Amino acid sequence: MSRPQSIVQRVPTPQSGRGWALDSAASQDWLTASAPDSGWTNGPGAGSALLPASQRTSAGSRQALCLWLPTFELRLELVRTPELDSASVALLSPGESTRRTVWQVSERAYEAGVRPGQLVSQAVSLCTALTLLEPDPAHYDAAVETMLEVLTEITPVIEPAGRGRVFLGMDGLERLFGSPPRLIDRALRSLFRVFPSPLVAATRAGMAPGKFGAWVAAASVRSGQPVIVPEERLSVFFAQCPVGTLPVDPLVVHRLERLGIATLGDLRRFPEPSLVSQFGEDGKNALAWATASRIDSVRPWHRPRPVRVSLEFPNPVGMTETLHVALDRLAERALARPTRRGRSVTGVRMGARLEGGGSWFVETVLREATSNRERIAAPLRAKMAISPPPRAVEALLLELTSFGVASTQTSLFDRKVGSSRSNEGNDFSKDEVTVKLKDAIKELKLRLGHSPLYRVVEIDPWSRIPERRHALMSFDP
Amino acid sequence: MSQHPRLKALRQPKLVVVRTDEQGDPVHVRIPGKTARRVAVIRERWQIDDEWWRQAISREYRTIVLDDGRVLTLYHDLIDGLWYVQKG
Repeated sequence: MSRPQSIVQRVPTPQSGRGWALDSAASQDWLTASAPDSGWTNGPGAGSALLPASQRTSAGSRQALCLWLPTFELRLELVRTPELDSASVALLSPGESTRRTVWQVSERAYEAGVRPGQLVSQAVSLCTALTLLEPDPAHYDAAVETMLEVLTEITPVIEPAGRGRVFLGMDGLERLFGSPPRLIDRALRSLFRVFPSPLVAATRAGMAPGKFGAWVAAASVRSGQPVIVPEERLSVFFAQCPVGTLPVDPLVVHRLERLGIATLGDLRRFPEPSLVSQFGEDGKNALAWATASRIDSVRPWHRPRPVRVSLEFPNPVGMTETLHVALDRLAERALARPTRRGRSVTGVRMGARLEGGGSWFVETVLREATSNRERIAAPLRAKMAISPPPRAVEALLLELTSFGVASTQTSLFDRKVGSSRSNEGNDFSKDEVTVKLKDAIKELKLRLGHSPLYRVVEIDPWSRIPERRHALMSFDP
Repeated sequence: MSQHPRLKALRQPKLVVVRTDEQGDPVHVRIPGKTARRVAVIRERWQIDDEWWRQAISREYRTIVLDDGRVLTLYHDLIDGLWYVQKG
């Protein structure tokens, strides 16, 4: 594939890159290299970071810089264990199942035929000297957090898209830091503060209007050769790119390729109605991306500070019952934290530091916002039963990661029309009863056989006899 | 299971044991299940005579303050002679 070098402006880099891990493979074909772990089409964070601009509410930053470190997790492992630098290494996929697969592979392992997604048995038969590494999600997440903190000093508009890839909003920074090449240089140099030089050198950088353009730019070049695509050249730049870069359903991409539409330039030759009739909404979106008529701004990433509690065991614990008790205690402590009060919990993560190194994590989104210990612990216990810690646990960690309103109780009786005060004394009509309240009543009726809810009705509000004024009537909408 | 809406009256009076002075004003009040308290002050009093056309109601109400600071509304039922506490 010919590279769109003629239309981009290259930027001097702090240090030339080292070709290790999957880097060499990626440079051969940036599309295939990006597929296993980039998260663009089917990886983590694919949907979150690249929603069409029309679905967003605020403006964000139009000019985007994408910093991408392919095989981020494996590189971190190799930095931690430098003696493996020249060995054939494969990082196992997270999760505990009987059929473990390979997640990321080093350059040497790749040369030996090991590929991401292969079963461990296949990989070992292809490369007998293969060193298998257990993933350490806590370590990777900590590295991402540090990276984001450092980059926040350059711009507050930062949007991570999975581990190892981040978009920076660049609008309005020229007066602070200078021209776009200087901006990229500054961003890359700031990474030296948190990552060793081989990691920074392997980082790819692309700057363009919109995240899609920035990502395609970053993915299309070798590490250490940042590119800037000006807005007027964006359309020409996209013309060379394969359809596999499109953030649409992979099946649509597959069909396009089978129809002989290899690049975005080929796609642009088709009128919109034809694409819509063939591929529906995805066809329309694909054309919008390909013609650069859709520019997706970088949105400032907001993540509430998680509430973290942990428990160190005097001796490593392997018994599930002990871990369950520890989880209950941790949930109690987390809920009692002053930083949590006034908010219910919607997302929770449990992790463990394992005996002999490594970490383990399970994460869940709660069915409904809650402040109840049991409702938080139960789904985590279920997850733990499916994917237990692979080794004994030295320390258990609980994180409340996302939060909802203070309580669902207050909103149960909110009426759709008007305030409760203005409707005082009026009956609830069926349309006014909230869905939440209906669901709650349904659940109570299943448990108790009848609705235990009552509403206050006026009998004779001006009566001199107090018990004649109001009554409770069973409420069963 | 009955499909009819069920009604529960609010502010139903509850029986209390009251010791009175010679003027008939409460001096000590004991709500069932609780300790007897001394009446610190009687704040207000009024009388209701109503519904004479069916079952006559005749009550002497008093708003009292107990020695622990609680405020109660009591009435002396002049028909049955008993004392009741009732939420206002």
